[in-house]
Amino acid sequence: MRRHCEAPRAGAILLAATALAISFAVTAGEFPYRVLHRIALTGTAPVQALAFGPGGRHLYATAGAELRRYGTVSAAPGNRLKLPGVGVGLAAAARDGGVLYVATRSPARLLILALRPLRIRASVALRNGEPSALLYDSIGHALYVESRVGRSVARLDPKNGKTLGVARLHGLLEQMAASGRGMLYVANAAGQELEVIRTVGMRPDGAIPLSGCTAPSGLAMDTVGRRLFVACGNGQALVVDEDMGFTFVRLPIARAASLRAVFAFDPLGPGGWKGGVFMAGDGPALDAIRMKAFISYVGGGSLLLGGTCTALALSPVARQLVLALAPRAAAMGATNAGATAGGAQLLILGGDGAEGSQ
Amino acid sequence: MTRFVTRPRALGALVLMASALAWPQARAALVPWAALRGKTVLFITGGADSPQPNDDALVSRHLRKLGLIVRAVDASAPESVAGGASLIVLSSTANSHALGDKYADSTVPIFTWNTYDYPNLGLTGPVLHRDFEVIDPTQHYPDSFAVLYAYGANLTSQISRAVGLRPQLFGTLYLEPGTAGWGRPGPGGTVIADFMGRQSHAAVFTYERDASLANGRPAPARRAGFYLGSDDFHLLTAAYGPAAKDPNMRRWAIGLKLFDTALRWAASPPPPLPAYDPAALDSAIRRIAHGKKVLFVERVNGGEGRRSDEHMVEHLRRLGFTVTIADQSDPETRARGQDLVIISGTCSKWKLANRYVNVSVPVISLEGLMSDTLHFTGYDRYVDYGEHGELHESDDPPESYLDIVGAWSPMAAGLKPGLVKFENTPGVLKWARPLPDATVIATLPNEPWECAIFGYPKGALMAGGFIAPARRALLPLDNPTFDDLTPQGRALFDAVVLWTLGG
Repeated sequence: MRRHCEAPRAGAILLAATALAISFAVTAGEFPYRVLHRIALTGTAPVQALAFGPGGRHLYATAGAELRRYGTVSAAPGNRLKLPGVGVGLAAAARDGGVLYVATRSPARLLILALRPLRIRASVALRNGEPSALLYDSIGHALYVESRVGRSVARLDPKNGKTLGVARLHGLLEQMAASGRGMLYVANAAGQELEVIRTVGMRPDGAIPLSGCTAPSGLAMDTVGRRLFVACGNGQALVVDEDMGFTFVRLPIARAASLRAVFAFDPLGPGGWKGGVFMAGDGPALDAIRMKAFISYVGGGSLLLGGTCTALALSPVARQLVLALAPRAAAMGATNAGATAGGAQLLILGGDGAEGSQ
Repeated sequence: MTRFVTRPRALGALVLMASALAWPQARAALVPWAALRGKTVLFITGGADSPQPNDDALVSRHLRKLGLIVRAVDASAPESVAGGASLIVLSSTANSHALGDKYADSTVPIFTWNTYDYPNLGLTGPVLHRDFEVIDPTQHYPDSFAVLYAYGANLTSQISRAVGLRPQLFGTLYLEPGTAGWGRPGPGGTVIADFMGRQSHAAVFTYERDASLANGRPAPARRAGFYLGSDDFHLLTAAYGPAAKDPNMRRWAIGLKLFDTALRWAASPPPPLPAYDPAALDSAIRRIAHGKKVLFVERVNGGEGRRSDEHMVEHLRRLGFTVTIADQSDPETRARGQDLVIISGTCSKWKLANRYVNVSVPVISLEGLMSDTLHFTGYDRYVDYGEHGELHESDDPPESYLDIVGAWSPMAAGLKPGLVKFENTPGVLKWARPLPDATVIATLPNEPWECAIFGYPKGALMAGGFIAPARRALLPLDNPTFDDLTPQGRALFDAVVLWTLGG
């Protein structure tokens, strides 16, 4: 009996603590964003992928076998679409009036969606193992599907999903980043390195060592400054010069087993930022790195998170950063029967001056 | 027929090898890393007084990764702590005033990036901004970008060869306004790389054991100065991943490789010091002279110096050389088939013109005024090269002494560092300011930048970007000087001939 009484109370306290924690920056007030909208999520499956639509007016999220659309200004929920499998990767492209790509597992498929109206235009089988991530390279106009179990990355034709080449890799493959100039990088959490792939022919071209970084999982790239941003499990963020493979900045971040990173170059960004990198995962905080110049990066503050960040997206157009948060137990995976999705939410953060519903 | 040609050549090679064994080598080889594993390094830092942030912990970890045993002490530790160490590594976090000259006489080799401590060790003069300087983004913001680049000033030192240094810029530190120090070593030092193409702003420099330091004292062991600041070890350039396969990137990002190689050089055993032994030198040169051809270029039937030239030729023939005499106006093709060209001081710079500049045969010039023609130095007469004791052509009086600054080199004939009487009667002595790739053996007394005897190895970077096709040496013998040489002067003559013939 006692148990039944305490559980909701504990849940309420946790929710209240989470709400408080994510509203205030913990480090000395540099963090450029504040919470604009908080969208409570329904259902049991955590959000595994997020993407802003072209133009930044809509946000897309996959939760289990469902695709959801939200308005970024109002945070109002929009269309939902049933997927043939669990959505694990999302990417948007501005071409053809706006295209959305979804990678699903069980079954392993690439879906090509039209946005207006939201519908599946094509469904292509993925034959290199269950996908774990999807990346659209808007400069190189290429689509990449990573398979952690298949230890491979495939390059697909963004028009029809046809496989153009496959790179076989080793280790534990995590986030990808594309240079837009013929190089693709994949964080390898099993080694202290970034796998390098030449996208013409999808030929592995060695690795960039990440000295002092254990379990690198988050990876983002500034294709203009040619910098790679790596989130490491041991509480370090690295800034790597792409041309030299040289780590020239190390900054502390929250420790986490799995992290995701996003970058946006925005010379007139909020708080005078010229660009920012954001890193979050199953650790306690969302960390920011402020780009002061192409050669100067400093810690940009952090936000405590009450739950696990399961997905992250950033739009320099909308000037919004979105996180999908799940209670830590739920984030262990939708297959965890004992998990509860209570408190799962999307947080939309924006710079000063942006209007929100908080 | 081929046999008849190749056999003498093979014999010659054998003779060269034999003579090389008998006479000390200029440069002992860099020991492989494996040989340094387990050696103890004394790492001197500022300890608790170190400026923050600093990279001492990173350096320490790096040294351990190289297989060295690191014993860290702070600047206040007594000099005796160096006992048993194979190398002293001196960080710039150690206060130079606290260090004082504690390690100046240490017979343990020193690798240092403590720029302010350079004068204490005698590596440079004592004057800040003139003899040494630390550039940092706070005090010298624009210059802190300039020191992100250094120039490969020396192509033939062991460090240069191991790194693959080229006469071009390279990246010293990663692209942030950096902290770096430079020093101006004395003429006994070897500048490996410099900032802004100024050899007086050496980024990396060394002193071989027994080379004269900037304060005139012989180096008790190897010394190496490096440009690093306290907190930029992590910014030393290196190329990784695909960039490491790009030859341009590999040659650009050599900061860490240079650091490692300079450290390895310092920890490697120096060559044995040659002893002053005219008899041994005579034997060595006789062994090598047999079958060797020397072209002696002089002003045939000239006036002053004619007898001295004759005596020089006689001396060379007595040693076993086959000497052919050429007039200064003869075509350069006379050098074909020769093993050595000696340009006499009787030659006219005007008449000789640019002959023998490009020959692939070793050349000794006994005439310092040809230093610009021969790419030994720049073109500015009386600035880049000049003379002492010539009436109307020099402000300086005649001189008979030389100051030995490169005693470690076989070219120094085993003479000790310091003054040595070169000729009996004060006379004309020519000098030049060679580039960093030259090994300087002797300077004029009290004129550390006026170098009298020096040599460029084959492949060395000479003035105007000229690459030495074979060894080149300057030995200042004015017209009649050979007959007036002291025994030490004669030994220097023989030693320079022996060294120059070697490549």
